[in-house]
Amino acid sequence: MNYKLLLLASLILFLSLITAWWITSRVPTPVTLTPSLSGQEEYCITCHADLPEISSSHAVKTFGCVTCHGGERLALDKDLAHSTMRGGKNPSDLTVVEQSCGGENCHSGSALEMQDHYQRVQTSIQSTYAGAIANIRYTFGAQPDLTARQGTYAVKDDVISTDTGLPSLEAFTPASDQNPAIQLFANNCLECHINAKPREGISNNRFTGCSACHSPAPLNSSKNSKDFGGTTQGSQVHTLTTAIPYTQCNTCHNRGNYDLRQMTFIERNNKPADRLHKYYQPIAEFTRCEYTLDCLDCHTRIEAMGDGDIHSNKKEIQYIRCKTCHGTPTELPLTKTLTDPNDIAIRQAFLNPVVDLKVGDTVLVTEQGEPLWNTRALPNGAFQMVGKSSKQVFNFNPVLGSACTQTGTDQSSAYCHKCHSVKR
Amino acid sequence: MRPNFFHHLHPPSIPAAQSRWCYTLGAGGIALFLMFVLGLTGILEVFYYIPTPENAALSVQTISYLVPFGGLIRNLHFWSAQLLLLVSAVHLVRVVFTGSYAPPRRFNYLLGLALFVLAILLDFTGYILRWDQGIQWALVVGTNLLKTLPIIGDTMYTLLMGGTNPGAASLIRFYAWHLFGLSLIAVIFVGWHAFRVRRDGGIALPPPSLRANNLRISRFVLVRREVLAMLFTGAALILISAFLPAPIAAPIKDMTAPAADASAPWFFLWVQQMLKWGDPFLWGIAVPLIILLVLSLIPYILPQPIESELGRWFPKSNRLAQIILGAIALIVIILTLIALITNV
Repeated sequence: MNYKLLLLASLILFLSLITAWWITSRVPTPVTLTPSLSGQEEYCITCHADLPEISSSHAVKTFGCVTCHGGERLALDKDLAHSTMRGGKNPSDLTVVEQSCGGENCHSGSALEMQDHYQRVQTSIQSTYAGAIANIRYTFGAQPDLTARQGTYAVKDDVISTDTGLPSLEAFTPASDQNPAIQLFANNCLECHINAKPREGISNNRFTGCSACHSPAPLNSSKNSKDFGGTTQGSQVHTLTTAIPYTQCNTCHNRGNYDLRQMTFIERNNKPADRLHKYYQPIAEFTRCEYTLDCLDCHTRIEAMGDGDIHSNKKEIQYIRCKTCHGTPTELPLTKTLTDPNDIAIRQAFLNPVVDLKVGDTVLVTEQGEPLWNTRALPNGAFQMVGKSSKQVFNFNPVLGSACTQTGTDQSSAYCHKCHSVKR
Repeated sequence: MRPNFFHHLHPPSIPAAQSRWCYTLGAGGIALFLMFVLGLTGILEVFYYIPTPENAALSVQTISYLVPFGGLIRNLHFWSAQLLLLVSAVHLVRVVFTGSYAPPRRFNYLLGLALFVLAILLDFTGYILRWDQGIQWALVVGTNLLKTLPIIGDTMYTLLMGGTNPGAASLIRFYAWHLFGLSLIAVIFVGWHAFRVRRDGGIALPPPSLRANNLRISRFVLVRREVLAMLFTGAALILISAFLPAPIAAPIKDMTAPAADASAPWFFLWVQQMLKWGDPFLWGIAVPLIILLVLSLIPYILPQPIESELGRWFPKSNRLAQIILGAIALIVIILTLIALITNV
């Protein structure tokens, strides 16, 4: 009898061994990746083999996954592997971006080389939201003028390079303001900066931080696909690009109107099909380029990401005008002939090769000297612009020599719109 | 049948009534088997474990995920250790509740108690060797308790930790204690404990005149029963280890940062619960030591079990010892449960 029991126990032990072997064999065999930057092996691609490479500038062979995302590189347990990831799905969230994207050789590099993206974005009005906060606080008596004092977070700038640059901002603390309008503003209106969790809805789908702009949603993003940023709709994207279509800008801009009496945001509900009516306020006027080009075809990286100074208002940083590209009846637009193979224009064109920019080419530049790298002076005196995202080619002539009689000093868009706006 | 080596480790025969499962609970034998499993799996882990603060948690991840069957081996080591504490506790309770510590077994009772303490210390040092965020709180708070010792506190802390903060020196000390210091003493004590069982006349039983029956079982039957216990325990261990992975967490980034998991290992939860009441020296060191003292004095100062009552459960003669141990066990269990509920 005892022997039968022994046999049974042996059988049970054998079966449990088989079970353990089976369970163990279900654990995936680690797939090792040793990125050349860190030199430390990581097993992330065991599960994430199907993720597309985020960009050719961030090759997975060089960067791997952990350099940007953090996480436990040797763990094959999902929870443990993901437990120390920076910013969840988005390591570019401003709370963690310095560890993820920063570094001297990466995006907190030299300001002269324009590689200080981290510092510029931290101080940028798109992140600090200082303009709106200053306006509201001034309007409701919390500060005596329109100079910004507070931002969405406290920030300092040690090197001020413009007249309007501020040394620092405190963190906006609505609790210390008694005015109910400011409280309402704090509750309802802090969704409009780069690091804000986006509003609900597929039209607002974006990540935070760098990825708010640089990880654009696919144009055909569908409602039922995976998480996207803070919302549950839209497509998952694993991409970083400087070819940013207007649709990505529209996840924040052109979304509706403020109601300053209620301190609420009224989301637009019309859904026009064509682009002319899609993006702009009904009363506004536009020239053709304004609804044909992508926003970033004209607006520069300094306008979008800041110049490293803390500003009080977006007007202090927004300087592209019609004449930047077209000139005036008396002057040609400013240009620059590229002589340095390491020129920022050539480097930018290398990142997003819609144009084959070479030393010797002449590009348009802004009054601040920033090259419009996707433009080029043609031999016949005309200019050419290539859409950064659309890759469309646009040829245009300077105003000089045309029938335009607009004076050089009146160059705001309202003057140009008088003749050049399209019928809507 | 000629007895083989393993048979010869046992007496030729032992009394049948006192070798039944429901009397011994098989606790001592299972504890021995678990220690054997711990030694074997521990040796395998040593080949991969790297005892430095930078690499410890990463090497544990390597063992868990990369090494073939490494995860299973680690889980077996973990679960054997947890089971060893439970089984040792059951063994202790059995010995007191049957009065088996009566002279001449008083000294062996102390040896057993020392082994129980060694098992707890081994479990704690093994837990610390993970050196990940899951053990950070216990490491910092647990070792800081030493500093509350009057006069010698700081010296004791430095002796244990090899410095004024947890660091590389501390990890290597925990490693050395776990692998050599504690394990070596435990192995010697286990041999001594088993030897004393034989020397003290085998399992406790009443004098021949008072025995209900004089049936005995042979060493062959005994060995078969032991093998049976090992097979069942082994199967249970393997199944638990296959389905329930041992705890693991991300490496410690900053020892001074608040730990994500602010709880002690389960076998010290009762101490953690008491620490919430105030004075860390009183509740964290003095009370546990007093409990240990009370346990070790059971065979010496409390009413002794009388010989005629030996070999069965709950003799009347040492009722007080049973009540005291029962109360201690109950309090520890209740405190552990409270901590489990409130820590969540």
